[in-house]
Parts: sequence; C-alpha cells; structure tokens
Amino acid sequence: MKTLKRRENIKGWSISSVYLVYTAIFWGYPFVWLFILALSKWNFLTPRRFIWFNNFIKLFMDDDFWRVVINTFNFMLYFIPMVLILSMLFALALTKVKYFKTFFMLSFLVAYVSSGVAYSIIFSKLFAVNGPLNKLTYSLFGVTIPWFSQPQLAILSIAMMVTWKFIGYYGLILYSGLVAIPKALYEAAELDGATRWIKFWKITLPLLNPSLVMVLVLCISLTFGIFTEPFLITGGGPMKRTYTFQMMIYTNAFQKLNPGYASALAIVTALISFGCVILTRKLIEREVSYS
Amino acid sequence: MKKFWMIVLYIVLFGASLLWIYPYIWMFMSSFKPSAEIFTKFWPSHFTGEHYKFILSAAEAMQRPFVRALLNSIFISFTVTFAVVFSSAFIGYALSKINFRGQKALFNFIIFQMLFPGFMFIVPLYVLIRALGLVNTLSAIILPGLMSAWGIFMFAQSYKSVPNEYIEAAKMDGASDIWVILRLMIPLSRSTASIVGMFTFIGIWDNFMWPLIVISDYNKMPLSVLLASFNREYGIYVGPILAGSVIQTLPMVLIFLIFRKYFLQGISMSLK
Repeated sequence: MKTLKRRENIKGWSISSVYLVYTAIFWGYPFVWLFILALSKWNFLTPRRFIWFNNFIKLFMDDDFWRVVINTFNFMLYFIPMVLILSMLFALALTKVKYFKTFFMLSFLVAYVSSGVAYSIIFSKLFAVNGPLNKLTYSLFGVTIPWFSQPQLAILSIAMMVTWKFIGYYGLILYSGLVAIPKALYEAAELDGATRWIKFWKITLPLLNPSLVMVLVLCISLTFGIFTEPFLITGGGPMKRTYTFQMMIYTNAFQKLNPGYASALAIVTALISFGCVILTRKLIEREVSYS
Repeated sequence: MKKFWMIVLYIVLFGASLLWIYPYIWMFMSSFKPSAEIFTKFWPSHFTGEHYKFILSAAEAMQRPFVRALLNSIFISFTVTFAVVFSSAFIGYALSKINFRGQKALFNFIIFQMLFPGFMFIVPLYVLIRALGLVNTLSAIILPGLMSAWGIFMFAQSYKSVPNEYIEAAKMDGASDIWVILRLMIPLSRSTASIVGMFTFIGIWDNFMWPLIVISDYNKMPLSVLLASFNREYGIYVGPILAGSVIQTLPMVLIFLIFRKYFLQGISMSLK
C-alpha cells in the first residue's frame, strides 16, 4: 500500500515538474523581474539601478497617464452599454426562434474569430473618408462623418468595432444562461398573472446574474488590454484620445526605451483593472437560487 | 398577430446577420476587384486575381516576403497548438487522476496563474528573451507559448468527469499511464482538446503585439505583423492589402467553421 502511494507521488511530481520548470522560466522569472524593473531605471543597455518608487511617483504626475485613464473610462462608457444591450437582445432573440438558429449564431460568431490586424485594416477602409460607409451617408443625408478624426467619434468607432467583434461571443454566454432558467418559473408566474415585463425584471434578469457578471468582467478585462485597433487605425490620435494603456506600455518600453517606467505602468494598469472587476462584482453580483 | 411578430423577428435577425458578415463580404469581394473599382463599385466590371499575384510574387521584390510570413505563421501556430494540447493533456491527467501529495496546491497555483493578465509579462518577458539571445528568432514567439495554465485547467476539469473505474479497468489489463492518456482520456475529452486547440491556434495566429516587439527582421515576421507593416508603408496598395487580409483571416475562419460544434459547446461549458 505504502509503495503504491510512493509510486503515485513520484509519478505525479515527475509529470508536474516538467510544468513547474517551464513555469519557473517563462512565468516566475518575468513575474519577479516585473517588480524589479518597476523599481529601477534602465534603458536595456547601461547598468540598471534602483530608484525605488520614483517610477510610480513620476507616473502619477504624468499627463499622459491621466489622459489614458480618462480615455479608458470614456471608451467603457460607450462600449459596455452598447455591447450589453445588443448581446442581450441577440440572446433573447435566439431563445425565440426555432429555425436557422445555428446560422444566426455562426454569422455573429464569425466576427469573433476575425484577425485583429485584418479587421482593423478592413474597418479603417470601411470607415474611411471616401469609404463605403461615408458614401452611403453622403447619398442618404448629404454628409460625411469623420469617423477617426473627431476625438469622441474615434473612441466611438473603436467601441463599435470591438462591439461588432464580441457580440456573438457574449450573446452566446447570455443565451446559455437564459436556457438554464427553468420553464416552470415562467409558468408559475403566468398563473399569477405576470406580464412580460414583470417576468423579465423579476425572473430573467435576477437569474441571469452570473452570466451578466461574467460578460461584464470579460468586457472590463478586454478594455484594459486593447492595443491592435488604436495602434493600427488611429495611432492613439486624434489628440491622444484613443491612446490606451497597452499603447503607453509599448511606447515607453520599446520606443522611449524605458522598461522600468513601462513595468510600473503595467502593474498600475493591472491594479486598476482588478479594482474595476472587484467593484463590479461587489455592486452587481447576487447569489442565485432557482427555487 | 403573433405570427406577424415572428416574421419581423426573422427579418431583423437575417438583416443583422448580413450586416455582421458584411465586412467579410466586402473584404473578400474587394480583394478580387480591379484597383480602380474597390471604392467605387459594389459589383465590379470583372474579377481579377492580380492582387493575390502581387502579394505572392511582387511583394517579395519590395522586401515584404508574404509567402515566407505565411509559412512562419503556419509553423509557429501548429507548433504551439500541438505543444499546448499535448502538454495540457498530460499535466491535466496528473492533476486530476494521480493522487500525489501537493496536487491540490498545484491546482490552486494554476488557477492563481490564470488571474494575471498577459500584458503584465510583456516587458519582463522581453528582457528574458533578450538575455537568452532569442530576439529576432521564431523561438521568441514559440517558447513563451508552449504550455498554458488555461489549457491544463480545461483538461483537468474535463478528466474529472471520467469515472475512475475506466482507468482502473484499463490498468488491470496492463495498460500504462501513457496508454491511458493517449487511448482513453484524450479520445473521451475530444471536445476539450478541440476547444483548447482551437483557441490556442486562433490566439497565436492572431497575436500581434508580442511578435511586433520581438521580430524586426522581415524574413522572420508572422503574417499579422508583416501585413500591418505593409499597410503602414504601402497604404496606397489597397488591393494587395485586402488580399493579404483575406489570407490572414481565412485559416481562422476555416478552423472556426470546421470546429463550430465544439466552439458552441465550449461557450456553453462556461469558460469560468
């Protein structure tokens, strides 16, 4: 019996050790270095020296940093309501239809597997001054819309692109939440004479809470990770209004050759992102029981 | 009345579906249009393959080797996907079916790892790759992706639903652990393997920021970075850019369509 236990131990650890060694190199080492760098001044070439919390102090006095914070929340203000309402409508519509269900799912999901680089290029052409979209608005209303050169419109455009990409995915998460709600609840409510609205507010939304929280958390994490779209389409402009945390990390580390500052920024970005997620959970998450 | 609203709903959904696929249609159609008609006509006077020809041959002379980049992308994505699925299948087995001391701690560590967003590691990982002398090599893209905490977690979760009796029965017949993993566990978790494989492939194929940082040599670039650089420097060549975008998008869409069943399953499994 004892030998069997020992054999299991050896076997388990020998398989796991492969992973542990790999993780130590490609996860542990960078993890430690992230904090070393954040407390250092370095330009990749001359010797590194510790400047302790100076990077963080400098960061909080950096106008660019506050610009990015405002941009990020500005983006969320457009993106989150848009994506939530639309994916909710999509999920509700899916519960109503009998035919072509898979076709609808796939046509919305195919956006989700679009390549970041390719779709950024395509949308920049579609939304271009002389692009198909402006041709359409011009023929209908006689105006062209400066999608990427007016600051608020530029943020909205990128929010629309990201919404286009993620609705299918979020809609499906909400849809599987909707399908899991027991039919008996609705039937009982109908016997009590509940209207559609009451059913939606009193049954659907509360029971959908876990899926909604999950979508919200995904939205928040995604917002803090945006890089490709603004980098390729607007370059962070106009007037730095589409400058994101990821672009700022990239610029500081690899163009201004200041990896210490970029690491400090990465830590702060992660903390703000965690903060938003925790706050969302505290405000919105409810215990759900189907009884 | 009810029937009327049903019909309206179908019309709206079909309209929205078309609107959602439209960028793809436009990209695909335009990549076959003559240059002069890309922004002017929806239905061109004739279709042409010139942009594809341009990208696959003429771009080479402009120091933008698309074919090479395509092969780089294929090589990187297949290597990483295979490594992730294979390693996750084995390590997930240890975490769910072998009782060893510290198993629980290891499982918690993997969940702990998944809490940290990838962008935190970009700068220090670059420092590591630089220290290893791997900047400007394909290894710089491949090595950091070989194993995935998320993949291991997915496999471990899916193995938990396989009854232990199966494994014991196989072992009674003299099967080794490796046989059990390859001939029993992986076939039983086919959908998990597909989900992990698909998301890994799409993620690595489409990875842009990391290769942009570690690769500056045009001959070593994956397609995503080369396409972006071509778009920045030769923006006037709209046709070839669109053709390149089609080539960059196609594998992802094809894989998605082939594995769509598992994709829908994966989402309803809830990727918590």
